[in-house]
Amino acid sequence: MVIDTSKTISAPASGDTTASCWSCGDMRAAHFCHACGKVQPPLPVNYFSFFGLPRKLNVDVLRLERDFYELSRKLHPDLNARADKREQEWSLEQSSLLNDAYRTLKDPIKRTQYLLRLEGVELEEQSKTATEKARASGEVKKQIVPPDLLEEVFELNMQLEELRMNKKMGEHDPALVKDLEAHKAQFEKKYEELAEELKGHWNRWDQAVDRNNGDERRGALDSMVDLLNRRSYIRNLVRDVNEALGN
Amino acid sequence: MAYSDKVLDHYSNPRNVGSMDKSSNEVGTGLVGAPECGDVMKLQIKVNPQTNIIEDAKFKTFGCGSAIASSSLATEWVKGKTVDEALQIKNTEIVKELALPPVKIHCSVLAEDAIRAAIHDWKAKQGAAKPVAVETK
Ligand code: FES
Repeated sequence: MVIDTSKTISAPASGDTTASCWSCGDMRAAHFCHACGKVQPPLPVNYFSFFGLPRKLNVDVLRLERDFYELSRKLHPDLNARADKREQEWSLEQSSLLNDAYRTLKDPIKRTQYLLRLEGVELEEQSKTATEKARASGEVKKQIVPPDLLEEVFELNMQLEELRMNKKMGEHDPALVKDLEAHKAQFEKKYEELAEELKGHWNRWDQAVDRNNGDERRGALDSMVDLLNRRSYIRNLVRDVNEALGN
Repeated sequence: MAYSDKVLDHYSNPRNVGSMDKSSNEVGTGLVGAPECGDVMKLQIKVNPQTNIIEDAKFKTFGCGSAIASSSLATEWVKGKTVDEALQIKNTEIVKELALPPVKIHCSVLAEDAIRAAIHDWKAKQGAAKPVAVETK
């Protein structure tokens, strides 16, 4: 998944237009003017600050949902149809920003990935970077996930291939199916455990933010990257096993 | 996204699919994964201990078409090379040969990783077999 951050973190064209309402000149909020209630042009915000949230991972999703519905009502382009042309445009822009922000923040994994990106972690680049380092130093690259997980993933894929073969040939191997079912249960359990583990890292991150501790922040970010990596293998496996078993 | 002809060729007609005896002293095995997508690749080489030349290579990849093509190509390239020559293969060369688009670069990275991991495994085995390292270059 690729999040387009370009429109959210781009620098403001000029500093002074963002702090005051374009219409009445009073202090404005991110979306509306406090004083006159007019829709404002989008500020260069990130999704957290769009909702007035700190850059933390434990998010009150119920409150987020409430804010989302309230804001979408107010920002709805139809509602502002009679407004000034610029205001209409802004309400369109704000609405789409609102939708992106909500969709990203309400999902625990998307929220985590988004935060990592905000913090400068390039999830897509990590493997390539590690390879380049290994090449330069002549060392063997450290695999990003534990070798025994890779081993398991590989073995299970071999079994899946056998199962697909069998199906094609019209053969049935109950022992193999049973084995796969068992593995699947195991991986599904692992998948659920990852969700728990992730919460632990969230707490570490949030605390580090409160304490403003750089090392702890880094540590929490690294743990989250590591977890997301393991997760993508397990997610694929569960998906492939389901597909092969025909569930 | 359209695959290049070369990718399609390797994909529909992969070279050197299979496996070799992992426990053999002449065989090096590399098992690597791409965290970006969760794909895995295994590449094995069989090396002549006298000459350090890679005499055979096999692979098995569970992943996208580009990963299969990259590993297929990698096995073709390493064959006949010495291990040290094979270590020079860069993912960018694979990208060029197969005309991979930017989003598929990580698939070629996987192939380079697999070559290096296999050679590393083989070297480690030689080191364990005799105390003196085999690399003479
Ligand atoms: S998409 Fe994963 S290796 Fe190509």
